[in-house]
Amino acid sequence: MSDRVVGGYTIDVDLLYDGERHVWLLILGEGRARVGMDPLGVETMGDVVQMYLQEPGVALNRGAAFGTIEAAKFVGPLTMPVSGTILTNNQAVASDPGLLTRDPFGEGWLIEIEPSDPAEFDLLVRGEEQVVEWFESKVRDYGAKGMLAE
Amino acid sequence: MLDFGSQTPLRSQTLWHAVAHGVSAGEPPTLSFVTPSAPYVSIGYHRRLKEIDLDSCRSHGLPVFRRMVGGGPVYLDRNQLFFQISLPSELVPAFGPRAMRYLLTPAVEAFNDVGVPATFDERGDISVGEAKISGIAGGQIEGCSLAVGNLVHAFDYDAMAMVLGVAEEPLYTELVRMMRTYFHPTPVDQDAFKAALIARYASAFDLEPGSGLLSDHERAQLSELDARFTDPGWLSGPDRADPPARQIKIRSGVWVFSALHQDTRVTGSVIGERFERLHVEDPLSDGQVAAIEAALAGERIDEMEDVLAPFGATGERVVAAISRIDGRNL
Repeated sequence: MSDRVVGGYTIDVDLLYDGERHVWLLILGEGRARVGMDPLGVETMGDVVQMYLQEPGVALNRGAAFGTIEAAKFVGPLTMPVSGTILTNNQAVASDPGLLTRDPFGEGWLIEIEPSDPAEFDLLVRGEEQVVEWFESKVRDYGAKGMLAE
Repeated sequence: MLDFGSQTPLRSQTLWHAVAHGVSAGEPPTLSFVTPSAPYVSIGYHRRLKEIDLDSCRSHGLPVFRRMVGGGPVYLDRNQLFFQISLPSELVPAFGPRAMRYLLTPAVEAFNDVGVPATFDERGDISVGEAKISGIAGGQIEGCSLAVGNLVHAFDYDAMAMVLGVAEEPLYTELVRMMRTYFHPTPVDQDAFKAALIARYASAFDLEPGSGLLSDHERAQLSELDARFTDPGWLSGPDRADPPARQIKIRSGVWVFSALHQDTRVTGSVIGERFERLHVEDPLSDGQVAAIEAALAGERIDEMEDVLAPFGATGERVVAAISRIDGRNL
């Protein structure tokens, strides 16, 4: 794990990121990867009060909802960064969504999956330089739109 | 714009959900209206069904439906006009509170247009002063982001308490008192409010208002939604553990609770981080209950142990009861 502070946020530059949905992917080994949200995605959602994560065994395509999340009475989908089958979900974060804010790369992970098409990894932002550049641009963009806390 | 008029309880939910699917499939941004023809109950997507007293609803003839947007259980009847704004998600700049503000700011302006000095407050409610005036919720359904709200001509606080299964004192009195204080109807002219909403949403999103009909796709979705919303499996919702204490949100940051530790029960209300009013029942108390209630009123929840330290064993029992509440998600 390689942490860097980018735009005021500590992020792990070793992970793969879905650039639009702020979902990260950690490849744990052959046929297993962990999925979570990055801190910028968490901040733009507001205070998460409820969450539902789909059960293990469900196969989903990239972009499909593996769960739902609620902040300020607004329910939205959590979407797969790559296609795969859910192996386990994190009941700790489902019970205490505050973990997303407190430890987005650690105890706040969401699901673990068996990716079905490793070629989709190439669709994600990866590599320290690219991750930093992407994240900085998102911080600037969201800041300009007033989406971040002052 | 789609004005569904008066609809059955089921259709007063499924029609606007069908519109969301339609907008997701390419139908234009849509403002819709509906009034239920009969009372019913709706519960938010993530909430525990046990928050509702189903037996009581059944005995009063109230159907219960789970919606696909957020928020808690609510009682709905013909004294409420509901509106929904549905936009393609790519037009909505954010999720959560920012999405809600974006989608509902024109509605706040419409309230002002008809003489209701409403604001979208920092807690995310449409309010006049300290009182919430509109029940709001939102969500993303496929590629549609939407928000719903209502114009409340009159509100049946007793029916709401019944829906929640709150009949026993002192929780009933405290719940109704807090609802009356922090949720106010705004009985303004409904047609004027509709006209203001149409004008404000058209202006905000640069749209040319026009009446429409459900598309074939939306009609097909409606049939599926009718089936889903009457499916007991859908209604049952998520399987979540019961909380250790009863807590009922009135509006953002305002809630009532009833917490039991052994034979000590504490019923009360909270505003922000502070107790507003408390009622302590403690059979072992040595005459300190009234003093404890007075000592805690206005104090911060996280300072209750210090406040009650002088009250010995009685204070410890009260702390143990109140420690069962959790205001994080309220």
